[in-house]
Amino acid sequence: MTAFPAALLPLPVAIPLVVCAAMLATAHVLPGRLPDILATLAALTVAVLCGVIATHAADGPLIYWFGGWEPRDGVHLGIGFSVDEASGWVAAFIGLLYALTFVFAWGFFDRTHGHFHILMLLFLAAMVGFCFTRDMFNLFVWFEVMSVAAFALTAYHLAESALAGAINFTVVNSLAGFLMLGGIGLIYAQTGTLDFEGIAAAVARGGRDPVVAGAFCLVAAALMIKGAIVPFQFWLADAHAVAPSPVSVIFSGSMVSLGLFGLAKVSAVVFGGSDQVQHALPALLVGLGSFTALLGGWMALLQRHLKRMLAFSTISHAGIMLTGLGALSVDGTGGMLVYVVGHGLVKGALFMIAGILLATQASIDEIALRGLGRGIWPAGVAMALAGLLLCGLPLGALDQGTRLVQGALAQQGHGHALAAGAIGAALTGAAVLRAAGRIFLGLGPDPGDEAGAPSEDEREKANRPLWLMLAPCCLLLALDIGLPAAVIEHALPRAASAFMHRPAVHALAEGPGWLPWASVAAALAGAGYGLFRRHLPALVVRPVSASQSAPTRALEVLHSGLIGDYAAWLAVGVAVIAAVLAMA
Amino acid sequence: MNAVTSFLPYAVAAWLFGIGLYGIATSRNFIHLVGCLGVCQSATYVLLLGLGYRWGSIAPIFYDHPPGTPAVDPVMQALVLTDIVVGATLTALLLVLTIQAYKRGGSLDPEKLRPMRAGGKSGRDPGSSRVRDPERSAP
Repeated sequence: MTAFPAALLPLPVAIPLVVCAAMLATAHVLPGRLPDILATLAALTVAVLCGVIATHAADGPLIYWFGGWEPRDGVHLGIGFSVDEASGWVAAFIGLLYALTFVFAWGFFDRTHGHFHILMLLFLAAMVGFCFTRDMFNLFVWFEVMSVAAFALTAYHLAESALAGAINFTVVNSLAGFLMLGGIGLIYAQTGTLDFEGIAAAVARGGRDPVVAGAFCLVAAALMIKGAIVPFQFWLADAHAVAPSPVSVIFSGSMVSLGLFGLAKVSAVVFGGSDQVQHALPALLVGLGSFTALLGGWMALLQRHLKRMLAFSTISHAGIMLTGLGALSVDGTGGMLVYVVGHGLVKGALFMIAGILLATQASIDEIALRGLGRGIWPAGVAMALAGLLLCGLPLGALDQGTRLVQGALAQQGHGHALAAGAIGAALTGAAVLRAAGRIFLGLGPDPGDEAGAPSEDEREKANRPLWLMLAPCCLLLALDIGLPAAVIEHALPRAASAFMHRPAVHALAEGPGWLPWASVAAALAGAGYGLFRRHLPALVVRPVSASQSAPTRALEVLHSGLIGDYAAWLAVGVAVIAAVLAMA
Repeated sequence: MNAVTSFLPYAVAAWLFGIGLYGIATSRNFIHLVGCLGVCQSATYVLLLGLGYRWGSIAPIFYDHPPGTPAVDPVMQALVLTDIVVGATLTALLLVLTIQAYKRGGSLDPEKLRPMRAGGKSGRDPGSSRVRDPERSAP
């Protein structure tokens, strides 16, 4: 194997940007399907290139300095890309997700002169750049490019609720950008460099320093806002539920988890040498993560709007990823990285199914769709399978990630987080399985049930054959299931240690084997309860009629859709992070 | 310099961010809200410029100064410039969204324009003039 020429590292970012610029210039003359084909090919190229880069990065990170500005005498002035194996594979997964999304969206956006594809390619370039960069300011730039593309894509329909959702999303994530920039300014003022390695060395030398802690507080808050961690999670449900479904696939599949990916990189590498930050992290990440997992799961169970339900399920799973990060071990971070990929594949498939229902049945409301899915039963099989995978069916990449995260949590003695993660996964699985049972089998009581949760009539264009929409969805699920366990076991310890800049470990611990089954059982029980409640004796039903209880109603009220409330919660969240850091 | 003047930029930055956030939290008009977001952003400008400032230094332009003259940190100014560009994009995008929301909802009040709230205006209201077809909505 010859060494990969480092000069080619910017290619996966440059290719989508070039294609997107070319498309923008020629948008009005490009014939019908050409934007679809070009965009799919560009995304596939990115995926393959990133895969090649990742295999070459196995021996050590590949580094590229823009303009040849290499560090001299320990002074980092240039901007660099540095790709380790894990970052490369995550980028390859993102490319693949985009390619399949473009296939899913085939013809969905015709006669819009490829604007959808242009924004999506910009989004893709930003994500890959975010994975590859080794410079704080560059990280911020990709973060913002990602955000701006996402804002515009959310509002694509220009319907009323899409606009409201996009405004909430824009305001909250802009505040995240300001916080991040402030944090970057602080850390630069203290260390005199923006390079990850340079900052890490300076932070390790510096000892306890309130400015470093403050910088971490601001950057971590920004990345947690992107990662939809409680109490920053409010924007997510508003944005994911109203975005066009191909965009939701990308949002849930990769954008949210990329926020946590960035947090993993920043906390392990950049602030790895700060004892204060490292002491605060377990309590902060495991605590917020557990809370997020439970709250997201509970809210998912209460929804009747399918995409909103999936959005809350994403919040719950982001919480589980954060607990993996909070274990601060190679096992936990490695598990989280696998979880990012597995969750992206399964959640992407689920949002595609929601898109299929929108296109073929002209509704996204679980109650209104009751029994209407019988004609498209293959989608039902896929949805049930995805629901089972989501709650932890011991099969495929998502389960591997789950077990590694659970193993790390068990090792570090975070029993509560272990339980919270399992319960959160079970709740989200129960919500998906209940919806699948109701839509595709016509189970459950007919009217009025869960009527309190917001919903809305909407539809998407039905101009695509079912198989064309179903194929990428099934491929995603097949990839999740088919990812060979042996490969992960072989490559992950090395990749995760390189990602965290820790000495290599040989094997990763796994959690108890019964726990995933317990989650699956709980999810099935939850879904069954939701569907067959009226057949159960009142003795069982009355104590658990939780959807009408006061805490549940309070939760619904909290998710008010009011941007002012979200800004207030954002301030609370930043204060919490600052307090935990100050006490460490 | 004495402690008060060196501390002042950070106090101003914190104040600006806080007051901007308060404005966003209590705003009843989207255009006012976009303005408050601009105030929050100004806080980052003040913070960054304050961090990069060196007393008794020139601007980092050496056209008529010999190299080696003490100058303020040019990196911070580059960061601020980049952020100004980002801020312009965001403000433009937000104002566009606001105009579109006003066209469809007839209001600039965040209370009246909530995404998918059962009690809100955009709930299941058959009379609302929502554009449902992405094709038709493209101008």
